Amino acid sequence: MIGVLSELLLLLVGGTLLTFAAGRVARWVALGTSLLFLFGVAYLLSAFSWPLLNPSTGVPQFAFSESAPWVSLPWLTINYSVGVDGISLPFVLLTAILQIVTVVYTFEETKRPSAWFGLVLLTCLGCYGVFISLDILQFFLFWEAVLIPMFFMIGYWGGLRRRYAALKFFIYTHVASVVMLISLFGVAFYSHATSFDFASLYASAPALAGTTQVFLFLGLFFGFGVKFPIVPFHTWLPDAHVEAPTGGSVLLAGLLLKLGGYGLIRWGLEVLPNGLEHVAPLLYAVAFASIIWGAFLSLSQRDLKRMVAYSSINHMGIVLLAIAVYSQLGVIAAVLLMFAHGIVSALLFMVAGSVHHTFGSRDIVTVNGITPTTPVLATMTMVGALASLGLPALISFPAEFLAFLATWDRLGYWVLVPLLVLVVTAGFYIWMMQRLLFGPPRSVPADAHDLPSYEAIAMGMLVALTVLYGILPGLLTNLIVHAPIYGLP
Amino acid sequence: MVIDLATLSPFLPELAVLAAALLIFLLDVLGVRELEALGAVAVAGLGAALLFVLADLGFTPLLGVRTLSASLVDAPIAAGSLYAFTSLGLVFQVIFLLATLLVALASLSRPSREPGGAVFFGLLLLAALGMMLVALAADLIFLLLALEVTAIASYLLVGYPRRDSRGLEAAMKFYIIGALSAALSFFGASLLYGAYGSTSLLVLGHSLPAGGNGELAIAGYAFLLVGLGFEVTAVPFHMWAVDVYDGAPDDVSAFLAGGTKKVGLFAFFLVFLGPVLLVVAPGTSASGNFHASVQLVLALLAVATMTVGNVLALMQREMKRLLAYSSISQAGYMLLGIAVGTAPAVAGATFQIFAHVFLKAGAFLVVAAVAGLGVGPLVTDWKGLGVRRPWLGAGFTLMLLGLAGIPLTIGFFSKFILFSATVQAEGLFVWLALIGLLNSALSVFYYGRILKVMYMDRAEPGEEPKPTAVAARLALGGIGWGRGCAIGLCVALIVAFGIDPGPILTVFQSAATHFLTLGV
Repeated sequence: MIGVLSELLLLLVGGTLLTFAAGRVARWVALGTSLLFLFGVAYLLSAFSWPLLNPSTGVPQFAFSESAPWVSLPWLTINYSVGVDGISLPFVLLTAILQIVTVVYTFEETKRPSAWFGLVLLTCLGCYGVFISLDILQFFLFWEAVLIPMFFMIGYWGGLRRRYAALKFFIYTHVASVVMLISLFGVAFYSHATSFDFASLYASAPALAGTTQVFLFLGLFFGFGVKFPIVPFHTWLPDAHVEAPTGGSVLLAGLLLKLGGYGLIRWGLEVLPNGLEHVAPLLYAVAFASIIWGAFLSLSQRDLKRMVAYSSINHMGIVLLAIAVYSQLGVIAAVLLMFAHGIVSALLFMVAGSVHHTFGSRDIVTVNGITPTTPVLATMTMVGALASLGLPALISFPAEFLAFLATWDRLGYWVLVPLLVLVVTAGFYIWMMQRLLFGPPRSVPADAHDLPSYEAIAMGMLVALTVLYGILPGLLTNLIVHAPIYGLP
Repeated sequence: MVIDLATLSPFLPELAVLAAALLIFLLDVLGVRELEALGAVAVAGLGAALLFVLADLGFTPLLGVRTLSASLVDAPIAAGSLYAFTSLGLVFQVIFLLATLLVALASLSRPSREPGGAVFFGLLLLAALGMMLVALAADLIFLLLALEVTAIASYLLVGYPRRDSRGLEAAMKFYIIGALSAALSFFGASLLYGAYGSTSLLVLGHSLPAGGNGELAIAGYAFLLVGLGFEVTAVPFHMWAVDVYDGAPDDVSAFLAGGTKKVGLFAFFLVFLGPVLLVVAPGTSASGNFHASVQLVLALLAVATMTVGNVLALMQREMKRLLAYSSISQAGYMLLGIAVGTAPAVAGATFQIFAHVFLKAGAFLVVAAVAGLGVGPLVTDWKGLGVRRPWLGAGFTLMLLGLAGIPLTIGFFSKFILFSATVQAEGLFVWLALIGLLNSALSVFYYGRILKVMYMDRAEPGEEPKPTAVAARLALGGIGWGRGCAIGLCVALIVAFGIDPGPILTVFQSAATHFLTLGV
């Protein structure tokens, strides 16, 4: 008898294989799979209950957890082990949402559609696997598996420099994964954990010496940080984003960047809290650098997509800050912020893609005044930009607010650094809206038309979520607290 | 000594291979030139031997054909015994037989009535026989002689298409280097004999390189290290490998990379792991110090091999040369396992060697198939191949991903086990694991480049390669059934063990544990 998490995994595996083989009806298979998966995740949300600490061992327990032996040797036990808690469940939800909007947005893909939709599903399968895995090997397996579909998505469907970007993306993130893997091995072997399971690492890691914890945490931080991406390891991101097809960018920004943040919380903060506390000043510095550098780089871009890509560095910098302050509030803020960024950046990348389809360029300086030609697209752009700069009642506001609150609790007036940078963030979004939406119309192609229905539906769903979670952030925060972070300040 | 059937029965696998080889030469004399007939005999002989060895390993469904009583496997080795049945040796016999079987299967797809078919299959089987004997060795001279059987057969295999000047040059180079390496190994063995008056690996293991004869023994081990280093293409003894792999016929390259190189690795196991490890507790005695320095030398050799192989592979423009350099770097990972020398690491190295058979031999077999389709030798000649031939492309992609150690392939698990065992050994080895893993990340660059060419570059219309006249007549769109089966088998095993490596890992682990405690 297999549990619901495994059933959903099998659903995605089956759906992916079927999509690859489906030929002309691939998009319908992909849509059906995504819908079923969304329903499954909705069931998870409704049936989710508080995962308790095991009273005898003090080890956190997970909801819907399953475990079965996979490889057992005298010195190494690997389990197939899955489960969710309040931290991973929002990411699972995000996976389901972005999967379906990506399928809908690219519904009319004409270049080898069965391969395209298969790869979209495969990426989401990998991310889902990462979020539910509670065993190092299994985690790493899915983590690496995500790279391959993304490599092909960028390299085959991407822009002019797609081959360079695909290879750069692959190499950067693979090197990082390798360092992460060594550190995870280190955690397991140095602490003499009985298996590669989260529970066994959680129980045995505190026994590690302080310096060992610091080194291992730094290794993990490098591995996860490249995925974030943190300055100075961020240079793969703009290339990958700019060259990726729109659907690829949506998954890249919406899901793949979140893997780093999730991993840092799950395997860094929870398993090696002492390591995190010791290197916290370094994390603050890196976070501030990412926040400032990302914002100023965005400000200097003319390409809409590149601008959104750099703003991701800024936002993920705030996520890192919220994790680094090491408090319950900080973790909640980080998860919420990542969820928000997943939704909003997906929306903005879709906007950039649609502007490009319609006007043949993404250059903010030459494409001006799109509102009269494409009012629906203009509205979507507006919501996306406002949400991203943190307007109240939209999804990012509560997240950023909590993040700054957590920073204030821990760092006092240092919170002014990210707060002041918000002015820059607001600046480039407002400048973008001013030009793109309200400038005098220029160089409008004769066949310019407003959004096709499937693109409008996909963006509409994201806009609705932006508003919904903006008004009711409690839907998520009440979920996130159900995680092994009670012990935190 | 009276030879009766009962004494011979443990050698049934070897005898099956020998009989098949002799039958092939006999058929040639009788005028049977059809490649299919000769190949069928070879495949049958290898297949039978494989079944026997699997049965001897205790593979349950085959216990009926067991030729070796369970009490003989991993039994204490009698003094002066030339051979021993160890479970690790049997595991390596399986590896050798699988590699040979794949090559024999693929060679069935060569043009029928091609001259030299009997020579090819006959020599292939003799090489396999030598490899199987290496796996049984318990004596240094027995080991080196068995290595020579394989070596001489493989020199001829490289040069057997007589009209191919590149092949002849490769054969000559291979022969000269091979003779040199054999001479060095034998010289090393004679020094060890001079020091201890025995060539039994067991005696050597118990005689510590200390005292008056110590220096002689250390020199002997050094000569053996160099001689065997040539066999496994360890840097700096690797120069010959690329030219030979490149110049040899494609199927023979697959055999060299997937088969004969592994023999050298097993010889490393026997010479540097078995005896040297009999004296554990490093640092406590002269022997412990010797063990520690052997570990250090092997570790340096491993790091140099993987790094140089990878860096040079990055610069290659020809597919076969690229694969040859990548094969050198893979040897580095395997040496790493020997350097660490714990049971988990030995199991990991064994797994890596096992995986490499399907990954690298499979890749060379695909190269052979693709050459038949009219694709040139350069990596860039492969452009668009993945789109034009989706099944072949997908198979090759899986092999490359496996070589790079990407999940859901056997290569991921083999590296995972090897490197986690290395980290588990703690101390200096953690850094070795890091170097190894960074190397493996570096290798992604050139494997990724091939994928890029295969899927993302397009051949101009009209410039698509045309299959050669010979290949055009073959089944499966110019690949042929035999080659198709061999590639399919590789892919199936790559995926199957990539998802569930548990069963074979357990076998490797127990074999490694027994191997390390043989003489204690």
